[in-house]
Amino acid sequence: MQPVISVINFSKSFGKTTAVKNLTFDVEKGELFGLIGPDGAGKTTTIRTLVTLISPDSGEISVTGLNVSKSIRAIRSITGYMPQRFSLYPDLSVRQNLNFFANLFEVPKKEIAERRKRLFKFSNLEPFSERLAGQLSGGMKQKLALSCTLIHNPVVLFLDEPTTGVDPVSRSEFWEILRELKKEGVTILVSTPYMDEALLCDRIAIMHEGSVLAMGKPEKITGLMRNHIYKITGNDLVLRSDVFAQIPEIISVQSFGDSLHLTFPPGFSDEDVRIKIYGLIGQELNVERIAPSLEDVFIGLVEGKIGHAN
Amino acid sequence: MRQIFYLVQKEFRQIFRDFSMVRILFVVPLIQIFILGNAITTDVKNIKIVFQDQDKTPYSREFISRFVHSEYFKIIGFEENYNRLSSYLDSGKASLAIVIPRHFQRDIVLKDKPDIQLLVDGVDGNSAGVSLGYITDIVQKYQERLIESSPDLSLQVKNVRRVETEPRFWFNPNLESKLYIVPGIIALILLIITLFLTSMGIVREKEIGTLEQLMVTPIRSYQLVIGKIIPFSILGMLEIMISMGFVYLIFGIGVKGSLPLLLFESSLFIISTLGLGIFISTISDTQQQALFIAWFFMIFSILLSGFFIPIANMPPVIQHITRLNPLRYYIVILREIYLKGTSFKDLIPETLAMATFGLCLFFAAVMRFRKKLG
Repeated sequence: MQPVISVINFSKSFGKTTAVKNLTFDVEKGELFGLIGPDGAGKTTTIRTLVTLISPDSGEISVTGLNVSKSIRAIRSITGYMPQRFSLYPDLSVRQNLNFFANLFEVPKKEIAERRKRLFKFSNLEPFSERLAGQLSGGMKQKLALSCTLIHNPVVLFLDEPTTGVDPVSRSEFWEILRELKKEGVTILVSTPYMDEALLCDRIAIMHEGSVLAMGKPEKITGLMRNHIYKITGNDLVLRSDVFAQIPEIISVQSFGDSLHLTFPPGFSDEDVRIKIYGLIGQELNVERIAPSLEDVFIGLVEGKIGHAN
Repeated sequence: MRQIFYLVQKEFRQIFRDFSMVRILFVVPLIQIFILGNAITTDVKNIKIVFQDQDKTPYSREFISRFVHSEYFKIIGFEENYNRLSSYLDSGKASLAIVIPRHFQRDIVLKDKPDIQLLVDGVDGNSAGVSLGYITDIVQKYQERLIESSPDLSLQVKNVRRVETEPRFWFNPNLESKLYIVPGIIALILLIITLFLTSMGIVREKEIGTLEQLMVTPIRSYQLVIGKIIPFSILGMLEIMISMGFVYLIFGIGVKGSLPLLLFESSLFIISTLGLGIFISTISDTQQQALFIAWFFMIFSILLSGFFIPIANMPPVIQHITRLNPLRYYIVILREIYLKGTSFKDLIPETLAMATFGLCLFFAAVMRFRKKLG
């Protein structure tokens, strides 16, 4: 079956800055696909190209088989796009915003009320339908923005960092809604800088500086990490990464809040690590081998230190 | 059509949702017309005058009394010491000092030539010139009366053929600057409201990101432009009618000519201000930038419109530049229709020029806007 989103060798530059370089990926129908990466990775450029707002420098890009440079209006009428910044009319009410976009998307008049009801059901915005959009809380704004992009029943949904700056409860509610939509067969492409959200996707592409470093199911990507990762916790004073960096075999030291993640090549056992650390600082620390998180993998990928078996 | 309707509806909802916007639209023109109509005046009145009467005779007193009864002058006092007269002008207590020399009466009676001395504050050259004109007028009338009442002049001499000018000022018989200024103010209000509303209205959507949201809907860019133009033109026309109402209520100045013609010409003018507004929106990313650029254009169009500074007084190069300014034509048209009741036939050259520049500006701006949207 033809993929809903197909990107082949896509490149885009703005002046001298290369935003995206030879990007290739597919998204199947009904898939929840995540573009993961830090700011400047090229996620927004990719999404804006897919929703026909900017044109690619090179590459074959299509949405539901339609070329993004040629079938601009056709693509716009079947896709929903929620940009990074909340951009609805703050001085119109929730209901007026929904109606406005419904009319611009030429939703049949008779269906508008019914669709609004359905959207209210999952967004719980019904009690606030007469409130001005500008007076909603961050999470509610996000849900209203999503509702407005769903009012015309798009078959593909593009969400650019939809939960950035939203509180944790609203974030999980938002992802709940996305899963509901997925069940209804909507294909969703979402970008996020949060690794925990990446785990909620069917497949992800890890992007960095305009290229994909790894792509596949989240579990598969964490499995890419062959190196062993040890988490150490203990006396704050010794939790200084530069001290551990002196161990000759160590691959990397990452600070994670109140703990450090030390990466050693495959074959290092807990005992080896403990001895190394004791030898270095003359003190017993709490050492624990942990499964690599997406963060570890991401950092490893960026630094080229994931310890490929081959 | 349906999409345009909803774009327009949205625009009006946004405008009238905001009470301060409604105030701007209705109250600001009222205040502007009231205050500016009274304040901007080229009439010179209440010229402060100080006298030194060295003669102190019936003749000199009779001369001074002519200034008492004039609304143009206000006598602030008499000064005995000649050397202190200049301090009145220095301090600005008076802008004019008149010295009646000793023997004023004697000279008149003896048919010698009496002189009076005028000291004029020339900083404001315009007012100085105007006040000089008033004084000459008073002196002349005084002289005429002297001649007529003189018992020893023969009738023949009295009836000597003197050429007199008897000016009649048409359309504005009392040369009231209000009549001249007020239509200009209406033009300015229309310029400001439509220019600022359009440029800010579009840039605002850019700023809050809704323009991008509109872009991913299937609407076409021309629909977007029309959706913006219709509400702002309607507001502009509403604005001009409100302003004309105020002008009538406050100053009793009504439109002499055809109202439909005036509205037609106004709509032509609005095309150019909307075009300029759209153009400004394409070169600015924030409302602040748009505001600055709109100010820049506004100041230029006002100063080069002939509203304050007569175009004929400008250097030839600048005079040619003013030809590109639609406001220049609109102010002329508005004054003509307002004060003279001029018919369309006589306004064709101005109308053509205004419409040509307006439409060029408009289409260039719309093309740029569409290209920018991509």
